[in-house]
Amino acid sequence: MSGWWFIGSLGEALFFAAVFLIGVFLSAILISWQLMSQSTQPLKIWNGFWLFLGVCLSFAVIGIVGFWYRVLKVVTSDEHREVIAQRGIIPEPLSGTQIPKRTALAPSIPDVKRFTDSPGARLAYRLPSQIPENGALVALGIFAMAWNAMIAVFVVLAAENYFRDQTPWQLLLLLLPGIYVAIRSARLFFRSFIQILGIGSTTVEIEELPLVPGREYHLEVVQYGRLVIKKIAVRLECQEESTYHFGTDLRTERQTVFSQEIASHGRDRIDWGYPLRLECRFCVPEDAMHSFQSKHNAIHWKIVVDGEANRWPSYSRSFPVLVYPQPKSSRPTAAS
Amino acid sequence: MIRLSGLQPTYMPGENIDFEYRVANVDRGSIVAVECSVCWLTEGKGTEDLGVHFFQRLAGDSLAAIDWTIAQRISCPLPISPLSYEGKLLKISWCVRVRFFLNDGTELMAQQPFYVGTLTREV
Repeated sequence: MSGWWFIGSLGEALFFAAVFLIGVFLSAILISWQLMSQSTQPLKIWNGFWLFLGVCLSFAVIGIVGFWYRVLKVVTSDEHREVIAQRGIIPEPLSGTQIPKRTALAPSIPDVKRFTDSPGARLAYRLPSQIPENGALVALGIFAMAWNAMIAVFVVLAAENYFRDQTPWQLLLLLLPGIYVAIRSARLFFRSFIQILGIGSTTVEIEELPLVPGREYHLEVVQYGRLVIKKIAVRLECQEESTYHFGTDLRTERQTVFSQEIASHGRDRIDWGYPLRLECRFCVPEDAMHSFQSKHNAIHWKIVVDGEANRWPSYSRSFPVLVYPQPKSSRPTAAS
Repeated sequence: MIRLSGLQPTYMPGENIDFEYRVANVDRGSIVAVECSVCWLTEGKGTEDLGVHFFQRLAGDSLAAIDWTIAQRISCPLPISPLSYEGKLLKISWCVRVRFFLNDGTELMAQQPFYVGTLTREV
C-alpha cells in the first residue's frame, strides 16, 4: 500500500466524498429555500423543483455509493467483500464459521428450473431455444420501423411545402439517402423474416434434466417448415465463455472445447404437417466439466442443430442444457 | 504457514477438508485481525471471479483468546461444485487462504491450492 496506488485510492475516495457533500449541500439549500423562504419562492413546487431535487439527490447517492465502494475496497479483503455481497449486509466483523447457505446445493451452476419449465410432447422436457437470428431480426425490425416512420414524417413535411409552392431543396437532398436507407432496411428485414418463416422452427425434447456425465439420454429433434433438407446434424457442444474489459469496452470471447455429432440425417423433404423427426441417444463424457456460471466466466453445454436446405441459407440453432457434476464421485485409487 | 492435513491435495466434492495454519516470526500483539477462507477463483482470459465457500474472521476478543503457539485447525465440508478445471479460456482453482492484518497496516497473506474433483491433475 504505497506510492501511486495509495494516492489513487485516496483521491477517488476524496472525489466521491466531495460529490456526496455537494449533493447534500445543494439538496439542503433547495429544500430550505422552498420551505423556509415563503417570500422569495425560487422554484414552484411542480416547476423544476423535483427535477433539481432529483439531480441534487443523485449527486449524494453517487457520492455515498462511490465513497463506500472505494473505502471497502481498501479496508476489506477480496474474500470479506465477497462474503458481504452474499450476505447483503454492511461490514460487521464476522466471527466464527461462515458458510453461505446458497452454496449448500450446487453453487455456481445455473438454476435447473429455467430449463425444465416447458414440458415436452413425447419426452419429459422441451429445451429452450437460443436462436441468435431472432435477436438480430427484432433489432433490425425496430430500426426499420423507427427509420421509416421518421422518413415518412419528413416526406409529409416536404410534400406540404411543395404544395405551398415552396420547394424545400435542402430537405429533399437530405431525404434521398434517407429513403434509400429506409428501403434497404425494410427489404433486409422482410428477407430475414421470410428466411425464418420458410425454414420453420426446430424443437428439441429430452428425457431428463440436468444431465450427468457418464449417463445416456434420449433426445428427439423435430424440424418443421416446408423445404428440402440437404443435411441436418445434431451436436452436443461445450463452450467456454469469458467476459473481460478491453480499455473501455466490455468484450466476450467464446470457445468451443468439446463437440460431438450425436445424430445426422441426409436429403429429405419436409412439408407442413409432416415435420422431420430425428431420435437419438447420446452420452455426456465421463470426464466432462459441469455447467458453470460466475460473474464474468461461464461453461455452457448445448445441443446444436445445423441444417442445410435447398434455396435457403444454412442455419444453426442452439438449445442449452445443464450438466451437473456426478453425484458421488469416488476418489481415484492411484494417481497417474 | 498453512498446512493441509490431507495426504494429497485432492478432495472429492462433498468431502471434508481439514487443514491447520499457524503464524511464525510475527509479534502476537501486533495482529489486529485474521481472516481464513476456503475459496475458488477463476483465471484466464476473462475478468477474475472469486467465490468464497468458507470464511472466518477473527478480531477483538475472539482473536485475543487464541493461543498462537498451537496451530489453528479448521474443518469444513466442500460443496459439490465448482470442480477444479483447466480449460482453454478459463481455469477454476480452489485454495485455502489466510490473511493476517497487523497494527502497522501490513497485510500478510498465504494460500495453499488444492483440487476438488479429478477433472484436472496438475495444480
